[in-house]
Amino acid sequence: MQSQERDRIAAFLDGAVDAGASSQEVAALVAATFRRVHQALVPIVGERGMAALYKRSLHLSRPMHPWLAGAAEGSADGAAADAEFAVDLTSLTAALATRSSAEAASAGTQLLDCFRALLTTLIGETLTERLLRPVWVTLLSGAYARDTKS
Amino acid sequence: MTSDATIHRLLTGVPGLDEVLGGGLPEFSFNLIAGQPGSGKTTLAHQIMFALATPERPAIYFTVLGEPPLKMLRYQQQFDFFDSEAINRSIRFINLSEEAVDGDLDRVLRRIVDEVTRHSPALVFVDSFRSVVVASQTHEARPSNLQHFVQQLGMWLTSWQATTFLLGEYFTESDANPVFTVADGLIWMRQSVQRNSMVRKIEILKMRGQAPLSGLHSFRLDSAGIRVFVPANAVAATVRDAIPALADVRLTMGVAGLDEMLGGGLPRGYSLLVAGPSGSGKSNLAAAFLAEGVRCGETGVIAPFEQDPHRSRDRTVANLIESGHVGFVDMKSLDVSIDEVLVLLLNEIRRLKATRVVIDSLSGFELALAPTYRDDFRESLSRLVTSLATVGVSVLMTTELEDRYTDLRFSPYGTAFMTDAIIVQRYIEVESRLRRVMAVVKVRASAHSDQLREFSIDAGGIRIGQMLADQEGLLGGRPTRKPAALQAPAAPSDAHG
Repeated sequence: MQSQERDRIAAFLDGAVDAGASSQEVAALVAATFRRVHQALVPIVGERGMAALYKRSLHLSRPMHPWLAGAAEGSADGAAADAEFAVDLTSLTAALATRSSAEAASAGTQLLDCFRALLTTLIGETLTERLLRPVWVTLLSGAYARDTKS
Repeated sequence: MTSDATIHRLLTGVPGLDEVLGGGLPEFSFNLIAGQPGSGKTTLAHQIMFALATPERPAIYFTVLGEPPLKMLRYQQQFDFFDSEAINRSIRFINLSEEAVDGDLDRVLRRIVDEVTRHSPALVFVDSFRSVVVASQTHEARPSNLQHFVQQLGMWLTSWQATTFLLGEYFTESDANPVFTVADGLIWMRQSVQRNSMVRKIEILKMRGQAPLSGLHSFRLDSAGIRVFVPANAVAATVRDAIPALADVRLTMGVAGLDEMLGGGLPRGYSLLVAGPSGSGKSNLAAAFLAEGVRCGETGVIAPFEQDPHRSRDRTVANLIESGHVGFVDMKSLDVSIDEVLVLLLNEIRRLKATRVVIDSLSGFELALAPTYRDDFRESLSRLVTSLATVGVSVLMTTELEDRYTDLRFSPYGTAFMTDAIIVQRYIEVESRLRRVMAVVKVRASAHSDQLREFSIDAGGIRIGQMLADQEGLLGGRPTRKPAALQAPAAPSDAHG
């Protein structure tokens, strides 16, 4: 399941690792990327539509990174009734931060690409590319240092 | 000095719809697209939106509860008109499920107003309106709530110079729905199923400020989207102006001897019915008619309902089609309507500026029609013949006619009266051989031969022979030789009847 986007995500996150980013910093980058995805998609598919796609991506990524289960179960204080229908990036950041930065980058790449691939199976390559273009353009074009130190 | 408001009309990009609407959609109108689930509302809305939206004239498509937006995008992108590049550039999808989920119409209205204010769309779609209504009913029992919502929405969007479409299900016409009062346009989409065939129809119940074409108009939904079939008489007039007006002359038929039998050829603009039993040579006559037209520098169109001309052993028609002189209306899809056939024919006629048309055969045509249209086949056929006559083309139609030797009949549908000329072919038995005879039964307002002429078919086509003057009782199928003393000279005299 190699794709151009996967390569770009991997280059972005691995670049951060090479530049000496901590696992917390990698986790923040992944979360920031998901926030951009969220911004791009929620107006179209709704909060719950976005949450369903996110949860499915987590589920599909777990065989490779079983510790992502923590991100799916939600944070300790996530007592909101709608937790099932929300994208819980706090839990994701927390789960990623417990691993090494290389591991966090690998899992982040897997999760983001899984999300993209899932959307592709539903609405096709062209439209997925069209909807997520602002995400890749604004987040992945810049170098790690510029993005995180801002 | 008065200066009335000018109402611009938007062309919807849906083939046939603008004609049915009475000249496109009035700009800033507030329209309702209603119909059962699966009737094509969302597709119609998308097709209009993709045709009309530009960066300068952007569209917002609000999705409410109901079909999940991802699924809608998944299916709509299968249509040719869907353009991913337009999304987020000239077309914006906005999901309102969060606002609608607790049924608070004010919240839904506020969000719509916010988004419309922010983006100033020229086109607004709300899909589906029914889910707004249902959500409001679960919320509070405030009957004025919905009416208030619709009026506010209509007022706001019109003031904001947006042309609006509400998509809704399950509306009934008798229902005194407040939406109907507010709406400038009511587009109703229906589907009816009879036996194994499904027929889709569209009706414009209301269109303020213009005169839509009344009644149910059939439409087709395929990968290209929706195509509405405009009633024949409305199309015919436009085609008439497109094809060359020809002098009042007679057409040659391409079969030696037949022109003389017709009294000098077929008068231009006439419809000719060729009736005969299976295998008698009706299609050969039709092919000769088209080939002769091409020889004379005319073009033609054929609607073959019986056999694919490309697979026919007789290559005449296939060669004419390949040469580009004869257009071909592909009738492989069943469940067609007469209007659909006529529109396809007229399009080909217009494209080729054709003057000769062949329908081979009426029996096959009837079978190709959806069952629901078969009941009034005769009436529809009459409309078709009239429309083609309006256009000014000459039409040759074949019809299967079982040989009956006890009575003399010319057509199975009582179609004889609606055609201008009739040729009948029959089998007869003479000296233990099956032979063919042909006669011209009618040529309106013209003298014609009354002879029964034997004919044969070989590689060169139809060859008309002599009268079988030594036989009598031919129409009984089993002629007998006349006594020698009564026999007339056998030479053809071409005496006109």
